Amino acid sequence: MIKNFNFCIVDDDDIYQFTVIKTIKALNLAKKIIAFSDGEEALDFMIKNLHKDEELPDVILLDINMPIMDGFQFMEEYIKIKPKLGKKITIYMVSSSVDTVDIERAKKISEISDYIIKPIKKGELKSIVDKLIDEGNED
Amino acid sequence: MSPNVNAEIIAVIATTNDDIISQFNSGAHTLLGYSPDEMVGSKKSDSFLLKEEIENFKRDLAARYQLKTIDFDPYKILAEHDANDAREWTILKKDGSTFIAHSTITPMKYENGKSNGYIRIIRDITDQKKVERDLLRKNEVLNHAEKITLMGHWQLDTITDNVKWSSNLYNIFEVHPDEVLTYDTYFSYVHPGDKETVSTSFEKSKQDKHFYDLLHHIKLDSGKIKIIQLLGEVITDEKGDVIEIIGTCQDVTQQRMAEIKFKGLLESAPDAMVIVNEKGKIQLINKQAEKLFGYSIGELLDQPVELLLPERYINAHANHRELYFNIPKTRKMGEGKELFGIDKHGREIPIQISLSPLKTEEGVLVSAAVRDITFQKRAEKRIIDAKGSLELLTDKLTIKNTQLADFAHITSHNLRAPVSNLNSLLEFYKDAETTLEKVQLFEKFESVIHHLTSTLNTLVEALKTKDETSKNIELLSFEEILSKTKEILSGQIIATNAKISSDFTAAPTIMYSKVYLESIFLNLVSNAIKYKAEDKTPEIFIKATVENGVQKLSFKDNGLGINLVRHGKKIFGLNKVFHRHPDAKGVGLFMTKVQVEAMGGKITVESEVNEGSIFTIKFNK
Repeated sequence: MIKNFNFCIVDDDDIYQFTVIKTIKALNLAKKIIAFSDGEEALDFMIKNLHKDEELPDVILLDINMPIMDGFQFMEEYIKIKPKLGKKITIYMVSSSVDTVDIERAKKISEISDYIIKPIKKGELKSIVDKLIDEGNED
Repeated sequence: MSPNVNAEIIAVIATTNDDIISQFNSGAHTLLGYSPDEMVGSKKSDSFLLKEEIENFKRDLAARYQLKTIDFDPYKILAEHDANDAREWTILKKDGSTFIAHSTITPMKYENGKSNGYIRIIRDITDQKKVERDLLRKNEVLNHAEKITLMGHWQLDTITDNVKWSSNLYNIFEVHPDEVLTYDTYFSYVHPGDKETVSTSFEKSKQDKHFYDLLHHIKLDSGKIKIIQLLGEVITDEKGDVIEIIGTCQDVTQQRMAEIKFKGLLESAPDAMVIVNEKGKIQLINKQAEKLFGYSIGELLDQPVELLLPERYINAHANHRELYFNIPKTRKMGEGKELFGIDKHGREIPIQISLSPLKTEEGVLVSAAVRDITFQKRAEKRIIDAKGSLELLTDKLTIKNTQLADFAHITSHNLRAPVSNLNSLLEFYKDAETTLEKVQLFEKFESVIHHLTSTLNTLVEALKTKDETSKNIELLSFEEILSKTKEILSGQIIATNAKISSDFTAAPTIMYSKVYLESIFLNLVSNAIKYKAEDKTPEIFIKATVENGVQKLSFKDNGLGINLVRHGKKIFGLNKVFHRHPDAKGVGLFMTKVQVEAMGGKITVESEVNEGSIFTIKFNK
């Protein structure tokens, strides 16, 4: 597996952070993994690194329920800064919520590639990377 | 004509056999204007008579005495027959004017029987003639009027049973004017169906010496049936005995037909109809109205219409009625208002009324179509009741639904997350190769299980709160609750130097659950201290108010505040935190809301970042 991709995990649940990071590392999927415990922290990081492509993530696994700024609020802000970003970023919404209200809402946001219900499985992480490679080849 | 006003003036004019005037008295002078000197010995009677009247006079005499010619001296003829003549003459006066006179011609004779001229006596009867003419004319007018009004008049001499009819009465009864009338003529035409009523009424009229008006049918020889109305008067002599009955008789067939048609229409109306005159007196009602109000027409005739209204409307109605008669037009009564009538037994009936003016010869009448809407009202009430209970049910269901949704949300977010973590950890644990790794993972297990336990405990508590609604309600003093809160929080208060003030004067006590109220105070006051602004000393002000009979309690602080635009919706959600505070767990406000709502109240928040927050509790009534 080519360790070309920067992973970003935005989730306030540190146990979840621990398990996902551990899985990504075990599968050897990422070049770099960064983690934030709420949307605001992640947003601040992106704004600081607008043009630093090597710092910016290729993939964001975004939780919905977080303090300060939740997943949807983060998406609102992300859409605002997206035109300034020099890099294409793929966003997955990852939540323990099976609430259809949340799922429908996420599907309406075109910047969100898919909605994944926790716990995220190894196969799901692998296919995320496979898709990124395919898209890279198309470009 | 003024000098002739005195009817006593009589002219006496004597003539000779040759018709030469021989005597001309002063009366003649006055009436004719000639002096005796002008007339006596020279003039003949033709000087003051009209030629054609003399001719007529002669023709009459010729007819009377069967003479073949009129070439004779009329005075001689009268003398020959020893007769006299009295008739009307037109007298030509000296000034050329004329007057009508009654004149008698009497031949004069000597004792030997020889003719000695004649005497003419003249009386002015102009006035009499005028009266006569007037009378004739009046009679004609009366006749005409009777024809137009289809009316006649009659006289019955009760002693001789002699009957007189006016000419139009003959027309009405289609009887030939020459027919001899008797007492029975009229009775023979009375319709068989009405005979008994009419005879009885006539007998009673004679007995009571008062004429009872009659309205009945007559059947004529042609087979035609008419309706006539008889009005009359009974005349008595000085002893009080009935001598005569006089009266009128009118053919009212057409009016009655119109009336019958009108009544038919009235009866066929689906609504109760009440017809009222300008004075508000009932003139006519139909069967439906009799049924609706329980009165018979006899009981309501000429009674004020307000009899059919409940007392509370009577004054206002009289005014409305007057206004209506000023500008009568078809309209609904009391549009938009609930109207009631009252029946004979005092029962109120919900009604709907339409008014319509009716112009008649008796003035403007108003017809009121009254519709009983008891049934509609009952149906309406049932619908309103049903709507009310549906709304109540909807409210209850909405609350239950919200609670269920809350619970589903909590299960989805707050329970699934730790469980999925446990699953992930379990997989790592299975794959763990070193003991160290397993120990580390076990620590993570502990942390998740601890979190899960606390979430479950909160949920159980919340569910318990929702179930235990009105238990353990007691009279509580806000002051006492606050001082207990201060005791519990004394550590934080001292550490932060927080200032807590209050004003409970508007409502110092409340009936509430002690446990909840203590919990509400503890959560809100401790939050205010916990989320204090870094550069400020916390200041908390608690105030009790009453608004529209509802008790309110507000907690105002000068702390960090909350971004309501961002977090407004979820501020009272479980495990929602808005500050990066180590102790923020998102349980306090959640439990506070659950407790307030369980007691039927509401909690709201106003907040400004870096300014502070105001939490307001609106207690249930």
